[in-house]
Amino acid sequence: MNHKSLAIAVTTAFALQFGAPVLAQVKIGINVPLTGFAAADGKSALDGAKLAVADANAKGGIGGAKIELVIYDDQASPKEATPAATKLIEKDKVVVGVSGSYSASTRAAAPLFQAAKVPYVVAYSIHPDVTLAGDYVFRTATMGEVQGRAGAKLASDLGKKKVVMITLKNDFGQALGAGFKEAAPKFGVNILNEYEYSIPDRQFGALISKVKSDNPELIYASGYYFTAGPLVNQLRAAGVTVPVIGQEGYDSEKFIEIAGVASEGTLVTTSLDRDSPSPVTQAFLKDFRAAYNYGADMVGASTFTATAIAIEGLRKTGGKGGEALKKAIEGGTFSTPIGTLTFNDLHEVKKDIQVQVVKDKAFHRHSVISDPLLLAPPTKAK
Amino acid sequence: MLFVELVAQGLVQGSIYALIALGLTLVYGLLRILHVAHAAFFTLGGYVGVMVANQTGSLAAAIVAAMIVAGFGGILVFRLCYQPILHQPPFVPLIASIGLYIAAEELFRIIFGPSGLSYKYEFLQGQVVVFGMLRFKEAEIAVMLGSAAIIGVLSLLQTRTRIGVACQATVSDPQMAESFGISLRKVGDINFFVGSALAAFAGVMVSVLNNMVEPTMGSVPSYKGLAIIVLGGLGSVRGSLAAALVLGVVESFGTIYLGHFLDRNAIAFAFLILVLMWRPQGLFARA
Repeated sequence: MNHKSLAIAVTTAFALQFGAPVLAQVKIGINVPLTGFAAADGKSALDGAKLAVADANAKGGIGGAKIELVIYDDQASPKEATPAATKLIEKDKVVVGVSGSYSASTRAAAPLFQAAKVPYVVAYSIHPDVTLAGDYVFRTATMGEVQGRAGAKLASDLGKKKVVMITLKNDFGQALGAGFKEAAPKFGVNILNEYEYSIPDRQFGALISKVKSDNPELIYASGYYFTAGPLVNQLRAAGVTVPVIGQEGYDSEKFIEIAGVASEGTLVTTSLDRDSPSPVTQAFLKDFRAAYNYGADMVGASTFTATAIAIEGLRKTGGKGGEALKKAIEGGTFSTPIGTLTFNDLHEVKKDIQVQVVKDKAFHRHSVISDPLLLAPPTKAK
Repeated sequence: MLFVELVAQGLVQGSIYALIALGLTLVYGLLRILHVAHAAFFTLGGYVGVMVANQTGSLAAAIVAAMIVAGFGGILVFRLCYQPILHQPPFVPLIASIGLYIAAEELFRIIFGPSGLSYKYEFLQGQVVVFGMLRFKEAEIAVMLGSAAIIGVLSLLQTRTRIGVACQATVSDPQMAESFGISLRKVGDINFFVGSALAAFAGVMVSVLNNMVEPTMGSVPSYKGLAIIVLGGLGSVRGSLAAALVLGVVESFGTIYLGHFLDRNAIAFAFLILVLMWRPQGLFARA
């Protein structure tokens, strides 16, 4: 390219940048783990968010303006989430943020969104500190402690009183464990022993030998599908046949694939009911499979929900962010694939816990735990 | 009873560590390089294994394919990555090795996706009861017997064949060996081939045990392997094997009795510190 044509090209580029009519765009930011140990959940989360954006854009966006999803990889790590949140706020100037990530990274990002007064809708991270960052932070997931309490009730509903806990040593596992231990005495559930493991662990031989010697009636094991898959598989191979209760982290087709036949009968407390009669849920499940060729899981459904809530809020404000958007989300009632959601004064949702069971290689409805007192999310008062 | 079970589970885990640590020791003995990227061949083995097994339905074919692919991969790493920088100070190959491992992990993720792969067929998932009381998965028995057999054959080859003796000679005095006409490059090729193939075998067995291969499956072995070869007295093959088994058993008990305050993966290092305070030359090296 000679000098003259280069000059023309550069001038044209500038002219286009300043002169051409800019298509109005509304920017939604999302932090998701696309690399590292949580990359699989990150993919599912991002697929959910993209589906929500595509849906909205197909229906005309926000008053004709297209929605753009600005994506940063946070590796589920606080040290990556902080710069990601800063870039979303400062550089990309998003009007609203969505967390499609784990607790550790979301806890780091939430205060930044709060300080910038950019509403931040958190999909599935369950640590209590997330919403304590302030009133610009919303959460669509059921908190860990609440889910843990539901686990204790489920154990008691199944008539099992002697329980061994296998707890994942991170924010997620410990929050669940705390809730389970808190509620267990109320239901006469006796915790024989609690063992801990960490995220990289895949081999549980020693732990399982000890669990066998405890002879429990039920196992309450926290984890993600990539730890729970091998765990449940190895439990069954070692001849442990008692029921296993897992949580949202198990909620993925991958769990069934990894644990194989051993996954049959595993119970999961979660937020996505595959057998729900709700047309919103069924439409979501169908669209998700059509778009990505795999079945939606809890992470995909929750991140879809969080993104859809942000969009719904933006529709009400006509694309404005800040306080207007915060108020719109606060005051709204949202019908989503994970139920009809409203936020309390701490911006937590109150919803039933869906118990799913693995049957014929798929998740199906087992029961619904609906106990407003037991499942009450924390409020500002406490 | 529980005691025996925990020891048995420790030995299963220890056999896996032994397979991984052996390759590291071979490389360290020859080149004095801490070969962090070795764990990439563990992961590679898992991926090749699961893909071949799902295509052919044969675990034996999967194991052979994984070992051959990883073995040649090992030779490539030796020639392309380590050989050009052997004359540099030791931290240079170490950094190269860490970089290589990180790149490999991301490459696995890009090629095979982040979610991991599982076997379509069931291999060695049945149960075996030993002595009427110890219950194992068939895959657990296979990993113990397999590693014992492979390591046994290797030690025979090392003492009974010309090339084995040449390898030993090179490790004890590279310059002298070279002046006797032994090709350093050939010995390097062999060490990398054997070491990487063993790691791949371990990778296939672990992927069968967990029914899962994921991009990050090598991250723990990458640094735990280093702890093991230090424990074993750097460069000592027998030391590393013994250290691997001991660590497996220590972890097995540690998971149960120390799990609340000490992470399983920290046990290796706590144990390493303790041992080094008492025997700085490693558990099994001669002072």
